[in-house]
Amino acid sequence: MSLLKEVGAELIGMFFGDARLTIALLLLIAVAGALIELTGIDPLVGGIVLILGCPALLIANLRRERRAIAPSRSAA
Amino acid sequence: MLIWSTAAPAVGAAFLASLVEVVEAFTIVLAVATLRGWRPAALGTAAALALLAGAVLLLGPLLNHIPLHALQLAIGILLLLMGMSWLRKACLRSAGIIPLHDEDAIFAAESAQLGGAAQRHQARLDWIAGMTALKGVLLEGLEVVFIVIAVGAGGGLLLPASLGALLACALVLLVGAVVHRPLSRVPENTLKFGVGVMLSAFGVFWIGEGFGLDWPGQDLALLVFAAVFLCAGLAGTAIARTPARNPVMELAR
Repeated sequence: MSLLKEVGAELIGMFFGDARLTIALLLLIAVAGALIELTGIDPLVGGIVLILGCPALLIANLRRERRAIAPSRSAA
Repeated sequence: MLIWSTAAPAVGAAFLASLVEVVEAFTIVLAVATLRGWRPAALGTAAALALLAGAVLLLGPLLNHIPLHALQLAIGILLLLMGMSWLRKACLRSAGIIPLHDEDAIFAAESAQLGGAAQRHQARLDWIAGMTALKGVLLEGLEVVFIVIAVGAGGGLLLPASLGALLACALVLLVGAVVHRPLSRVPENTLKFGVGVMLSAFGVFWIGEGFGLDWPGQDLALLVFAAVFLCAGLAGTAIARTPARNPVMELAR
């Protein structure tokens, strides 16, 4: 039973390393999908939103992590 | 016919990702073998490989029943989530925000854990050692299986992707057999960074294909995506490494 739990935890950990980043990425995919499927504009716009949005989210997440550890570093 | 420009990224991604995971599994199996001999280590490893093979044989044929666009979209989303998670972690490790993965430390921890179990359950020790090897290989192997399916299934590249994973297994076993100690010199974080870049690029590519988008340049778009994620990862690492301004400390000066 504990093996199954660990397998489940490993599977979840594979895809959801950081909850904020995961949610932001899923929202971005939804926006890109809506642009491609639901609007009349060139579908490539949705693709560009996706390929530029992902790096932007990553950098924003890393910047947030740096800010989050700054107080603990200066306190130490 | 297999197009090399499409197959090469799949083989490369599967090879590098499998290399990272197999090194981790090898460390655990080696710790078990060092403490209790190769028999429980080999039995645990064989049982894990059998379970993984069973899962692939059971789930693999189901993929043929899923419509291609839905499969590409689902795999693309999972690949992007996994790739970005690896890339984020590699950036944080490069920036020194979280510690680097240390195979020697993992080997010592696994050995200590088994040593503790030895004192408590002398009679069942081989069973515990075998289960430790099974768990290690199963958990790391799951990631290998997913990556092989993910980079291969969307474009009919399961065979090249499997070849990449097998090459990684063979390389780790060969080097491991020669050096007979944890493979701590493998630049794991650099590999994870590279794999994160490739998986994220594949993820965006398959998501677009899943939505019915025809990427300009088709498969060659993967290289552009990889370049974008590489630049983002390098920039993100530099940003994370720069000390953040602390308003409280600045006011105190």
